[in-house]
Amino acid sequence: MTEDNFEEFLKKAAQSYNAPPARTPREDMWSAIQAQRAAGPRVVYGGGSGTRESSGRRFGSKIWLGAAAAAVLFLATGVGIGRWTASSNTQGSVAVANPSKTGSNPAPTTEPSGTVPDGSVVGSTPGQNAGGGVEALTPRGVARSGGGQRTGLTGGSGTRVAAGDAAPNPTPASAYQLTTVRHLSEAEALLTSFRTRSTTDQQMDAQLGTWARSLLSNTRLLLDSPVANDPQRRPLLEDLELVLVQIVQLSPGSTPQDREMIEKTLRQDHVMTRLRTAIPAGSQRGS
Amino acid sequence: MGLLAYESRSSVNDIELITRVVAGDAAAERELYETYVDRIYRLTFRLAGDDELARDFTQATFIRAFEKIGSFRGESSLSTWLHSIGVSVSLNGLRKTKRLRTREAPMEEGLTVGAMPVEAEPDLKERLARAIDSLSDKYRTVFVMHDVEGYTHDEISGTLSIPVGTSKSHLFQARSKLRVALADFAPEWAS
Repeated sequence: MTEDNFEEFLKKAAQSYNAPPARTPREDMWSAIQAQRAAGPRVVYGGGSGTRESSGRRFGSKIWLGAAAAAVLFLATGVGIGRWTASSNTQGSVAVANPSKTGSNPAPTTEPSGTVPDGSVVGSTPGQNAGGGVEALTPRGVARSGGGQRTGLTGGSGTRVAAGDAAPNPTPASAYQLTTVRHLSEAEALLTSFRTRSTTDQQMDAQLGTWARSLLSNTRLLLDSPVANDPQRRPLLEDLELVLVQIVQLSPGSTPQDREMIEKTLRQDHVMTRLRTAIPAGSQRGS
Repeated sequence: MGLLAYESRSSVNDIELITRVVAGDAAAERELYETYVDRIYRLTFRLAGDDELARDFTQATFIRAFEKIGSFRGESSLSTWLHSIGVSVSLNGLRKTKRLRTREAPMEEGLTVGAMPVEAEPDLKERLARAIDSLSDKYRTVFVMHDVEGYTHDEISGTLSIPVGTSKSHLFQARSKLRVALADFAPEWAS
């Protein structure tokens, strides 16, 4: 009897636990969803729920700095490899499908392979390109040449060509892709920490500022790299750059309005959701 | 009210709706969203305890659902599948944000507070909230779904992909821990 009483008591008392508002913000959320999806197909977020790294880690300042240093090193290495490989390949040009031309003109154009931006434009052999609408598997899904719309991994019916088959040297795109994902993961961690910090913790603000500064440098490096050619990535990196600048500029004397401005930018541009959906499942944040 | 109201939607309706969504019918997407958003939002809010996070998780749930709906096999109901995504997104997101930790206090601390006399309801609410937050994810999720939101063990089993017996076991463990944490309030339920 006592047990039953306890269950009833518990159920009743627990109704106040994290009680949701009476009204669901349907329209707001729908608008946000539409905005995200309008930006283009995304890599499935958390496709393997267990594959995403458990992030219950504590962001101690030393870990932050270590992670930031590792990220900087990794990014610099990735960008360096990409540029070095790209420059070495410019001597020997390869045929790649030009999405602006192949739809109406099956003849391949000749461009340096270094211009392949993050797998969003994928090389193709002339024979495969002849029909237009060739698809190539990329890390982010399927890129369709010939002016076709990008589709998900399960979509499309055109000829599928593994990127590695068509691109003589996939290293630059892979390096940029990996580097970008790591960077976006770091940014997501920073922004998450920012949003959940105590508003009165000035030491935390200082640590976040240091972290944001290193990410800001990396963001600008990526904006200057072929990654920024990707029509989905560039706006995201630009919005991220703005937020990072705002966080870097936070000082101990900053007002709540300053912080609210950052929150507002995050909300209006849906930066968090875009970051989360831009990070492929199973990717691990920099250690 | 659990998922039953949603389960009562015939599978034919669900199949038709899914087919339209896969075909790119924007109205069907909206219909799917309108049908399930309240329930998903309530659950994510219960798990997150924060409006911003609940919105993020709900949005991510539907974005992911729209992306993956082509691979939905119909092995469970559409409602169960959506809830499964919602819980997965929420728990993964919460591990990152550590949102719960803002209110966190070790269970031991909660127990020592027991020396204080039983007071008004706000104290009970706060103590209960901290005790629930201190539960592990698996216990907390089952407790929230069953005792707070009214899901059945069958529904929880489908959503979390665990056997019904495991769901019951998790609930039992959760209640046991909460009973210890709320021992000071025993007169309230023993009377």
